[in-house]
Amino acid sequence: MSDPQPAPASSRALPPPRTERGALGWLRLNLFGGWRSSLLTLISGAAIGAALFYGLRWIFVQADWRIVAEMGGRIAIGSYNTVDNCASQNCYWRPQVVLLGFILILGMAWGIAGKGLTKRIALVAAVVLSLLAFLPYSWEEMGIDVRLLLGANLPALGLGWLLSRYTPLRTYFRISLFAVAWFVVSMILLRGISGVPGMEPVSVYAWGGFMVNLILAVGGIALSLPIGILLALGRGSETPLVNLRVPVGKHRRLKWRLRLPIVKYLCVVFIEVFRGVPLLALLFLSQYLLPLAMPEGFFLTSTPLLRTAIVITLFSGAYMAENVRGGLQGLHPGQAEAARALGLSGVATIRMITLPQALRNVIPAIVGQFISLFKDTTLIYVIGVLEVVQIGRSFIQGNIQTWAGSEIEYFIFIAVLFWIFTYGMSRISRRVEERLGASSRARN
Amino acid sequence: MAVEGIAQKIPFWRNYQVLRWTTQIVSGFAAVGLVAWLAIRMVSAIEERSIPVGFSFLSRSYGGPIGHHFFPYNPSTTAAETADSFLYSLLVAAGNTVVLSIIGVVLATILGFFIGVSRLSGNWLVSRLSLSYVEFFRNVPLLIQLYFWFTVSLALPPVSSGIQIGDLFINNAGVSFPWPSPTGVRPTVSWLVLACLSLVASYFVYRRRFRLEVRTGQPSYPVLSGCLAALVLGAVAWILIVAITGTSPFEITYPAPQGRFGRISGGTTVPAALIVLLLGLVMYTAAFIAEIVRAGIQSVRKGQREAARSLGLNNMRSLRYVVFPQALRVIVPPLISQFLNLTKNSSLAVAIGYSDLLSVAKTMTQIAPALSIFILVLLIYLVISLAYSLIGNIYNRTTRISNR
Repeated sequence: MSDPQPAPASSRALPPPRTERGALGWLRLNLFGGWRSSLLTLISGAAIGAALFYGLRWIFVQADWRIVAEMGGRIAIGSYNTVDNCASQNCYWRPQVVLLGFILILGMAWGIAGKGLTKRIALVAAVVLSLLAFLPYSWEEMGIDVRLLLGANLPALGLGWLLSRYTPLRTYFRISLFAVAWFVVSMILLRGISGVPGMEPVSVYAWGGFMVNLILAVGGIALSLPIGILLALGRGSETPLVNLRVPVGKHRRLKWRLRLPIVKYLCVVFIEVFRGVPLLALLFLSQYLLPLAMPEGFFLTSTPLLRTAIVITLFSGAYMAENVRGGLQGLHPGQAEAARALGLSGVATIRMITLPQALRNVIPAIVGQFISLFKDTTLIYVIGVLEVVQIGRSFIQGNIQTWAGSEIEYFIFIAVLFWIFTYGMSRISRRVEERLGASSRARN
Repeated sequence: MAVEGIAQKIPFWRNYQVLRWTTQIVSGFAAVGLVAWLAIRMVSAIEERSIPVGFSFLSRSYGGPIGHHFFPYNPSTTAAETADSFLYSLLVAAGNTVVLSIIGVVLATILGFFIGVSRLSGNWLVSRLSLSYVEFFRNVPLLIQLYFWFTVSLALPPVSSGIQIGDLFINNAGVSFPWPSPTGVRPTVSWLVLACLSLVASYFVYRRRFRLEVRTGQPSYPVLSGCLAALVLGAVAWILIVAITGTSPFEITYPAPQGRFGRISGGTTVPAALIVLLLGLVMYTAAFIAEIVRAGIQSVRKGQREAARSLGLNNMRSLRYVVFPQALRVIVPPLISQFLNLTKNSSLAVAIGYSDLLSVAKTMTQIAPALSIFILVLLIYLVISLAYSLIGNIYNRTTRISNR
């Protein structure tokens, strides 16, 4: 009698208490779980609040962003189109056409990839560039032709999309070939051809602005990965990757490796030397050494921009080699052995079995190296090329009466510009990694 | 027949030995040939343009300025004394790079671990805050960050009207604060030696107490007793030296403005360029270290921590004794390469006018053979990076799981 019977209502599940549900539950779980967490929340909340208050006040009230407007096109192309470098001052269309071509390629990529991040990036890039045509400059400062060429970015994107849908340009391989060809064409366009009307040569010393950073980054990224792969294969020739060996004689054990000590140590020395010294020191040295060592008029070392491009690419290639090597070493030797057992040749094993898996496993490291190459392009100031950071500094130094103290605004603008690109790259890498399922597989 | 198939002669272009030796010899000759060709071209170019080369300049006196130096340096060229030699000046500059990178490495590691751990915090706000720190500082070129801090430092008041907080002076030349200055060679050096010995002794105290705690399960305060031992032993050594030599090994000097322009003397002054460089390097590298630390901690299986908690270790201790020792195996190799990156990035000092190895070397090239100087600079950087890799390799060897 005194023992209370369990109420029959208990068979009905009660809802969780109000403090563990919905917004309140989320708050309790993530922000106020215990006094320590609450304290942290309060402190970091106060810090964020203060940073937001002062930061926003600075951005909207105190900062003087006129420097960015005044710099205008110089941020993009430097002093490419000034009287000194392009007498007719009619050269702006060349970088713009180059840009249109790359937007076209982006459109093709979208056409192939279909929906997803590629589409979003392509659309955002083209729309932003097209919107630049409506910047509130006067007609003298920004002519109708410049605006039209900027506005043409959106149609160019659409054209690229159509091309990849309805023409033979619908494989990755062909588009890559097209991109390489376009890179070469754009170098010629930017440099100019003497004697052709409208194509007056513009000295490489006059190239500047964000254009130079992008050119160096694109060229370096495209070349450093193949260089890195070759170096990694060379260095790893002691590890079971390359396999051309057939059993010779009955006393020798079958070893699944190709021993090439000379190749290996050449690669090791190259990689370690390039990884062991600062890029800045290499750039200084290349300015001094390469002109001495190479024959005069030798194409690759004729201009400082090309010399720095070579140094940055090799430097990045050495780092890339270590990333690729990490991927190759992480593979189980059974992969290569199975491929050999199936009758694939040594080269085919690398090309179709080991390398794709190895690269897939180190995508984050490879993209990280791309990002760091892109950031390193700011270092070419040592050769006096006015890339995007230095063009602003030199502009402010040259007009110090008007623009003294505007450096902070300019640097923050540039920092955000770089951040958009680098953060975008890291997002793409994460997406590719998810798509390939590399992260989940590496964990198992 | 199958036997005949095997007995068939392998064509020479698919013979392993032939392929192997051809590749080796061709690549070897190509490399040697390329290097030789470059060297010959360079030598002829050097002779043609009569560019000075050689290393005889190293013993000559340099006399150029080195803005800030951690090791004593004498640029004076008065009749009474000659300036330090090129070699010594270069080594002083290398010393700057080494000391500043060690300071940077220590600070960046502390900040990076802090941010990396807070990225995994259960507190949403804290982990978001550290995520945005990492994503911002990692993705903006270091040069822009350095220029930014440099411009900010220029906005500080000049020396004559600097900020003073107690004994701390802040102006656009740098930050000055009280500092123990050595009083003489003998008392200072002997105290330093004794202090090192007492540190070693206190480490043994710490280990003993730690083992006691592990064995008995009673709280024995290993860290506290180790610190106490170091303090007591150091103090005893100090008193001993004062009693024997009559002077104390260090004397604290206070900074004070002097003369018409208020130049600050006494204490120690950390130049603004060094602060800017360290600030930029530390904040940049810490973002990378934070990611490494996060990945390392996440590589330890969740069960490890749960097991530690259920054994009764508190949150800090399960991190300290269970998670970190396992995570370190994953963390340390990339961490070392970040240390190396920081050291190499310190060459960006050229951009903001701090006298590191590269910028001093660049100044030297105006009056000495540039080629020789650059070769020396590259060698010094290579030695530094080899030292880092050596440390990394030793660590890997000692912590490797032998049973795999």
